[in-house]
Amino acid sequence: MGKKRKQAEMEPHSTEKVEKEAPLRPQRTLLGWKEMSKNGEPLSSPVFRNKEKVLVTSSRRIIYRYRHLMLNIVSLLPHCKKDSKVESKASKGGTLNELVELRNCSCGLFFECRKQKDLYLWMAKCSNGPSVKFLVNAVHTMEELKLTGNHLKCSRPILTFSTNFDMKPHWQLLKEMITQIFGTPKDHKKTKPFYDHVFAFSILDDHIWFRNYQISVPHNEIDKVDRGGLDKMTLVEVGPRFCLNPIKIFGGSFGGQTLYENPLYISPNQIRALGKRKKAGKYAKKIKAKKKRKMHEESNPLEPDEFAGIWKE
Amino acid sequence: MEPDSEEMESEYESEEVEEDVPLMEPSKDAIYNAEGLHEKLEDIAWPKDIDWIQKLSIDVNLERDIDVNDDLAREMAFYTQALEGTRQAFGRLQSMAIPFLRPPDYYAEMVKSDSHMVKVKGKLLFEKKKLEEAEERRKAREAKRIAKEVQAEKLKERAKQKKHEIESVKKWRKQRQNGGTGGSKVDLDFGFEEGEGFERPKKMRPGVAPGDRSGGNARHAGKFGKGSGKGGKSREYRNTKFGHGGKKGLKRQNNAESANDIRGFNKGTAQANKKRKR
Repeated sequence: MGKKRKQAEMEPHSTEKVEKEAPLRPQRTLLGWKEMSKNGEPLSSPVFRNKEKVLVTSSRRIIYRYRHLMLNIVSLLPHCKKDSKVESKASKGGTLNELVELRNCSCGLFFECRKQKDLYLWMAKCSNGPSVKFLVNAVHTMEELKLTGNHLKCSRPILTFSTNFDMKPHWQLLKEMITQIFGTPKDHKKTKPFYDHVFAFSILDDHIWFRNYQISVPHNEIDKVDRGGLDKMTLVEVGPRFCLNPIKIFGGSFGGQTLYENPLYISPNQIRALGKRKKAGKYAKKIKAKKKRKMHEESNPLEPDEFAGIWKE
Repeated sequence: MEPDSEEMESEYESEEVEEDVPLMEPSKDAIYNAEGLHEKLEDIAWPKDIDWIQKLSIDVNLERDIDVNDDLAREMAFYTQALEGTRQAFGRLQSMAIPFLRPPDYYAEMVKSDSHMVKVKGKLLFEKKKLEEAEERRKAREAKRIAKEVQAEKLKERAKQKKHEIESVKKWRKQRQNGGTGGSKVDLDFGFEEGEGFERPKKMRPGVAPGDRSGGNARHAGKFGKGSGKGGKSREYRNTKFGHGGKKGLKRQNNAESANDIRGFNKGTAQANKKRKR
């Protein structure tokens, strides 16, 4: 809803800006250009500047696959800082918060690997924002050869969200966090001025699925980008792929009051235990089945075959 | 979870079925603090009136009821979402008159290294080659099958012709017996003119035992047999086996027919072996 209104007022605004640009140059400030309102006066509200920085770390004994996933994410986020591995989360939020603050970051991504198989991802807005704990499934890293796309290293991604992010409050919150963490700040020094990849975040089956595509527009169409050129646009997947299953949302960063709990969540430990229990009865089942079969055969014996000796001669 | 174990369970276990069902149900006492969530959202949200260019986020309607386990449908949904989003975003960028597409002569560091992209390309080429090879093999197989059919047809044709010729000879003979010389009225179509009739088969002569080294001569008039006068059946047989006449090596050698004869071999498949054992 909010988006529509913004879009409506965006278009006239931007065209106006283009026209205005020529006669009078906007004033420069330390932070860039001073924004002009429609009347040519500077806006009353301070200029918004996205200064998010993300600290990316992992727990110790993370396995290579998840480490590669982390490195891929580092390569996708020019505004992130990678830190060395942290001793497992025994001492919990405190150290991590300190670390994030120490590195001057505003968000944290913490990859926690447990039992050499399960990956949990913590996404936190630091100092006092909320934090989320996800279970990460279906991980494919960028190194996989079936993902054939490639794009500029620090270009800004276009973020696409499926509309069901606006359905429930916790999804809304997650959407806001994801835009702040995964969106590259506009005037970040490392960014390149072109847009050649797109992130897709979709909610399916109460999981958030992440995909990263390269946008490839045919080469001869680049000079004149009319609608026809955009229609021929295709996407090639670059990777990584992963699927986030939200477990809990906390009020503080890396801990605090629980705001949301996933009612459908089953921990991988439970799933494994269940599988084992199912397998455990195998022998007993076999014996039982054999007995049953025997009884069945005894109770209804086979009739003598009238054609039994037909080929004897 | 293996399918067979599950199947077993459903077949035989009725009293202790599916303990995981209660777990799959949403737990009742899960915390859901909507107010708190809203509050936090307000806390961290960026101001409402910021330019879209800061966020670059687009909402796209994802089609409903996609089966999560259907990989193809799922990926397609994500792809269409991303594509639709990109279209919208590019439309907006265009309306802002910002150059947004990378010119072809703009080179910069990419996310994946060149060496990695070489690998990717190699994989693609390899896959293409594999496909082509499979196609070739398939074609060869087809051609072989067709050739076999053609060969069978030819053999049939030949047999038919032979039969026809024999018949015509018989007819001719009968006619000659009945009506003397047929003269010009009898139609002689033996194909002697073509030079086929007197060709002797190069293979083994009919009526000669496979071990006969004399090529059947001994039976009619063995040199030893006639000279000594002693010849019994056994002498004759021994002559054919050990005596002179004929080339010794020949019966051990393959000829064209025996070389192609694979009756002595296993067909090769395990299936066939099993069948034979039974």
